[in-house]
Amino acid sequence: MAGTLTATDGASGDGLATARVAGPWRDKLRMLLRQRSAVIGLIIISILSFAALFADVIAPHPPNKALNGPGEPGRRAQPCVHLLGCPADQPQTLLGTDGNSRDLFSRTLHGARVSLVVGFATAGLAVLIGSTIGAIAGFAAGGLDNGLMRVMDVMLAFPALVLAIAIASTLGRGLLQSLIAVAIVSIPIYARVMRASVLSVRGLDYVTASRALGETNRGLLVRRVLPNALTPMIVVGTLGIGTAVLETAALSFLGLGMQPPDAEWGAMIASEFNGILTRPLIVLVPGFALTLLVVGFNLLGDGLRDTLDPRLDR
Amino acid sequence: MTRRSTRAGVASLGTATLLVASLGGGTFAQGSPEPAPAAAAVMSYPNYGGEVDCEARTFNGTEYRGSIKSIEATDASTVVFTLCAPDPAFLAKVAFSAFQIDDTDYLLTAGADRSIVEKPNGTGPYQLGDWVRGDQVILNAYAGYHGDAALSPTAIFRWSSQPGQKFIELQSGNVDGIDNVQPDDVEAIEGDPNLQLIPREGLNVFYIGFNDTAAPFDNEKIRQAIAQGIDRQAIVDQFYPAGSEVASHFVPCSIAFGCEGESWYDFDLAAAQALLAEGMAEAGVDSISTTISLRVVDRGYLPLPEQVATAIQAQLQDNLGITATLDVQESGTFIDNADLGLLKGLHLLGWGADYPDPTNFLDYHFGEGASAQFGNGFPDIHAALRAGASTAVDAERQAAYTDVNNLLKQHVPMIPVAHGGSATAWAAGLQGNPHSSPLSNEVLSVIGPGTDDQLVFMQSGEPAGLYCADESDGEALRICEQIKESLYAFEVGGVAAIPALATECAANDDLTVWTCTLKDGVTFHNGATLDAGDVVLSYAVQWDAAHPLHLGRDGSFTYFAGLFGGFLNAPPAAE
Repeated sequence: MAGTLTATDGASGDGLATARVAGPWRDKLRMLLRQRSAVIGLIIISILSFAALFADVIAPHPPNKALNGPGEPGRRAQPCVHLLGCPADQPQTLLGTDGNSRDLFSRTLHGARVSLVVGFATAGLAVLIGSTIGAIAGFAAGGLDNGLMRVMDVMLAFPALVLAIAIASTLGRGLLQSLIAVAIVSIPIYARVMRASVLSVRGLDYVTASRALGETNRGLLVRRVLPNALTPMIVVGTLGIGTAVLETAALSFLGLGMQPPDAEWGAMIASEFNGILTRPLIVLVPGFALTLLVVGFNLLGDGLRDTLDPRLDR
Repeated sequence: MTRRSTRAGVASLGTATLLVASLGGGTFAQGSPEPAPAAAAVMSYPNYGGEVDCEARTFNGTEYRGSIKSIEATDASTVVFTLCAPDPAFLAKVAFSAFQIDDTDYLLTAGADRSIVEKPNGTGPYQLGDWVRGDQVILNAYAGYHGDAALSPTAIFRWSSQPGQKFIELQSGNVDGIDNVQPDDVEAIEGDPNLQLIPREGLNVFYIGFNDTAAPFDNEKIRQAIAQGIDRQAIVDQFYPAGSEVASHFVPCSIAFGCEGESWYDFDLAAAQALLAEGMAEAGVDSISTTISLRVVDRGYLPLPEQVATAIQAQLQDNLGITATLDVQESGTFIDNADLGLLKGLHLLGWGADYPDPTNFLDYHFGEGASAQFGNGFPDIHAALRAGASTAVDAERQAAYTDVNNLLKQHVPMIPVAHGGSATAWAAGLQGNPHSSPLSNEVLSVIGPGTDDQLVFMQSGEPAGLYCADESDGEALRICEQIKESLYAFEVGGVAAIPALATECAANDDLTVWTCTLKDGVTFHNGATLDAGDVVLSYAVQWDAAHPLHLGRDGSFTYFAGLFGGFLNAPPAAE
C-alpha cells in the first residue's frame, strides 16, 4: 500500500515524481502478463475485439441479408467449405445459415460487436454511477451513508436478472433499454465495493494529514481517497463486463434486448433454440461465442485481481 | 335430475333479469319434476320489445344487422330457429364450438359471476377435473355421457409455445400427442418407429392484416402496394412444410365458392414501388415506419411466427423501404388487441376453418358483425357477403363470392399469404383413433391411452378461458370441444356436420326456418337434463348485447357477431 501511496502523491506533484509513477504500473503490467489466465483472457478479448472491429471486412455477407437467391445456400444450410471437401457446385458458407437464410458466421461476427459495446458501456455506466454513490456514502458516512446503502440493499435483495427483466419491461424492448436495465442492477455491487474501499482508505494517516493541512472534503475525496480506492473497482469492473454481456444476452434471449433483425448472440440463440436437436450448430455457435467472451473477461478479471491485490503478491 | 325454476335462478340478478326471467315464465312449471309438454311456443327470443323486422333491419327501434329473426322452444325438446334469409351453412354454424349449449341454471349463476369462464359445465364425454393455471387442464371421463364413453379415463391438456419442447416431450414419452409439428421436425418423427405423424389439410389462411383507421394504412394505394411488394412464394418456400400453398384467395380453394373471382396480386416489385410512391404522396408522408405485431405461438397457418415475421420485415425494408419493428405480444393479449382494433401497424394472424364454408372465413373477418380488427369495414364487402350468406342457389353464391374476393383484392384489408399444411404427432402405441382434424378440433375421447390410463396432449398455448362462446382461439376451442357440445358436431377427423345434442335440424324449403329436435336423456355434468330452454338461453346470451348475461370473458362474442351478422341491441359503431 505504501508504494501506491507514493505513486499517487507523486502524481499530484512535480515531473520527477511523475517519472517514478510509471514504475509500479509497469511492474503490475509485467506481473499481469506473467499470469497465464490473464494472458489467455487478453488473447480471447483481443481476438473478439478484432473480429468485432473489422466485422464489416471479415464477414462474407451482410449480417441481415437472406441468402436464398439463385446460387446462394438457402435456409438452414449446413457448413460448406470447398477447401475441406464440400462439392464445388454448392455455395460456400463457413458455419451454414440460420432459419432466415442469413450467414451464421457473419452474424456471429457482428454479434461480437454488439456484445463488446454492450459489455463495456454497461459496466462503464454502472461503475461510474456505483462508484460515485459508494464513494459519497463511504466518505460522508452517517445518515447519507445509511440512506444510500439501504437503497442499494433493497436493489440487491432482488435477483439481478429478475430486476433487469422488470426494468427492461418497463422501459420497453430494445438494446439501449436492456443496457440501462443491466447497468442499473449492477450499480449496487459497485457501490458496495467502492464504499468498502473508501472506508478502508479514509482513516489512513495520509488522509488525516491532508485534512490537517486544510484540504477540503471534496479535495480529500477526489485527490486523496479515490485514487487509492480504485484498485478493487478495476477488478470488479472487468469481471462485471462479462456479467453484463451475459445478462444483456439473457434479456435479448427473452425478447427484451436487441430486436430483430439485428444480430446479437442472445437473440440468435432465442430465435433458433427450437432447432437444437435438428440443427444444433445454429444455436451452439453464438452460445460458444458468448461463453468465450465471458470466459475471456473472467480470466482477465482474475488476473487483474491477482496482480493488483497486494495480499496476493507472489 | 329435477331442474330448478329458471325464475328462481335469476332472482338475484336485479332489474336486468327481466329478459331472462321471462324465458322461464312459460310452461316449465316451478316444482315440476319434468318440463311440462307444450303445444305452443313456451319460450322464445327476443321476448320483449317486439319482433325483429328483417326488412327494415331493426329491432326494438334500433338497427339490427343480424341474420336470426327468432329462436323458439316450442316444447321441451324442440327448438325453432327463424332466419331473416336462407342460410345454407346453418348446420355447420350450429355445429361449431362457440355455440355449445349450457345448462340454464348453471348459466344463470356461473355466467353472471363469470366463473363459467374457468369452470365449464357441459354434456361432453369429459368433464373438467382441474385447470391448473400455467400448467395443465385435467379432464375426467363423464360416466353419464349419452354417447360412446371416452376411451381414456383421464385426458390432460398441456401446452408449450416452443415447438422444440413439444417434440422433446413426445419423444421422451411425457405426452402422447402434440399439435403443430414444426416443419424441421417432420423428418425426425417420420423416422422414429415409436411415433406417428398424421398430416392435417391446410384448411386455414395466414394473412398480414392492416387497420384502415390508422395512417398511413388508411390509404388504399399503400395497402395495395404492400400487397404487391411482398414475395409470398418466397415465404411459403422457406418456412412452410409440404402440403402448403401460396394463398390465391383468403378462403382455401378446397372450400366451395372460396376461390371465386380474381386471384391475389402477383409479386411485382416495380408496380409496388410505383404505387407506394403514389400512395405516400397522397398521404403526405415521406417515409413509413411501422410495427409488425405478432404472437409467438405456432399454428398450422403460421408454423414459424418469428422467422416469418423477420422475413416480412426484411422484405418490407428491401423491397419497399418500409422500416418495421417486430412487436411480440402475449397470445391472449394479441387476440384481444386485434379484436379491439388496437393493432395499428401490420399484424400477423391467421384463421383455421371452423366449418367448411366461405362464411366461416369471410363473414367472421369482413362481415357486418366483424370485430374492429381491420378497422371500420367496407360496406360493399358487407353487401356482397350478405348476398352470399343468404342464398342457397349455387349460381348466386358464386356471383356473390366473386364480388367479395374482387373487393377484398381492391380494398386490401389484409394480404392472404399462405394456406399452411400442418400435422399432429402421436405415440405409436395408442389405442383407438389418433387423428388430425382439418378443423383442428381433435376429439380425445376416441383415442385410448398407451401404457397408462391417461392421455396427454400438448398444444401450443394455454386457453384464455373455457367459455367458448366468448373465445376465438383454437387452444380454448379444442378443450371446450371435449367438455361441451353443440346441437351438431363435426365428424371425427372430418368436416361433415353430424347430429350431436340434436337428433336432427330440419329446414323448410327456403332454408329460413330450422327446426331442431333434441336428443332424449342428455344430462349435463352437474346432473341437469338438457331441454330446449337451455338452447334458447345459450344462444340468447350471445345474441342480445343487452342481455344481462352477455358478459363472457371480455364480452366480445366475436363468433356470434361474425357468423350470424350481428347482435340485438348492438352498441353503436365507433366513429
